[in-house]
Amino acid sequence: MNSVGEECQELKRRYDECFNKWFAEKFLKGQTDDPCQPLFRVYQKCVKNAIKAKNLDLEQMEVQVLGTPNEKHPPS
Amino acid sequence: MRIWTSEHTFDHSWETVVTAAWRKYPNPLNPSVVGLDVIDRSIDAEGKLNSHRLMSTSWGMPGWVAKLIGMQESVFASEHSVVDPKKKVFTLNSRNLTLSNVLTVNEQLVYSQHPTDPNKTLLKQEATVTVSGLPLCSRLEKMMTDAMNNNANKGRQAMEFVIDKVKKEARELSTEAHKCMDNVLPKPSSL
Repeated sequence: MNSVGEECQELKRRYDECFNKWFAEKFLKGQTDDPCQPLFRVYQKCVKNAIKAKNLDLEQMEVQVLGTPNEKHPPS
Repeated sequence: MRIWTSEHTFDHSWETVVTAAWRKYPNPLNPSVVGLDVIDRSIDAEGKLNSHRLMSTSWGMPGWVAKLIGMQESVFASEHSVVDPKKKVFTLNSRNLTLSNVLTVNEQLVYSQHPTDPNKTLLKQEATVTVSGLPLCSRLEKMMTDAMNNNANKGRQAMEFVIDKVKKEARELSTEAHKCMDNVLPKPSSL
């Protein structure tokens, strides 16, 4: 599976591997201590930079427009 | 707005299904999912795992629709999910980010342990489509819900595919472990 940023590919792969193992072997058995946190922080930083570089404004995009007064209507 | 709902039972435990769900992509049945990243993840005070993921797809719309609404190559979607390991419920909510000023597709999936059989998992899916500002509103909505039905079937097949893969890996690991032990332990005749 690819990352949104090519430079984050390897970080993503390592984090996903750590997470999948921890999730099945520890989290589901009641252990919430997450050893993948350090890996995640590095990967997360890379992804957020890649998103910025691609001009994807996540916050703006998450704003609800339809069904609100901001919704545009066809000219009558 | 059109609402589409669907229910399905997996013949596997909730733990198996949820573990597989995280490994759902890539799979041969959903080739249009091209990218997936975890934006945020944390465990809250109640021990639930909260995740926020960004998904990019190149899901195909007919060419004329793409031209009409000036669609980009990659469609981005945002997914928020919560895993409650005590109640055995995994809830996912996803919404498109691209074109959200034109149409919004909201999808919710809830994987829960089957109420009467702990070796089975129930999946309830629901989607709403909101379209506005286009002259072909209801036709576009119908196309969406038809595509969703199609994809839901593929999604379920994809889950079975991944569950199978995860179980096979576990069996192979077990076989290797046995082989290793057989080589290490002295055979009864040599004692």
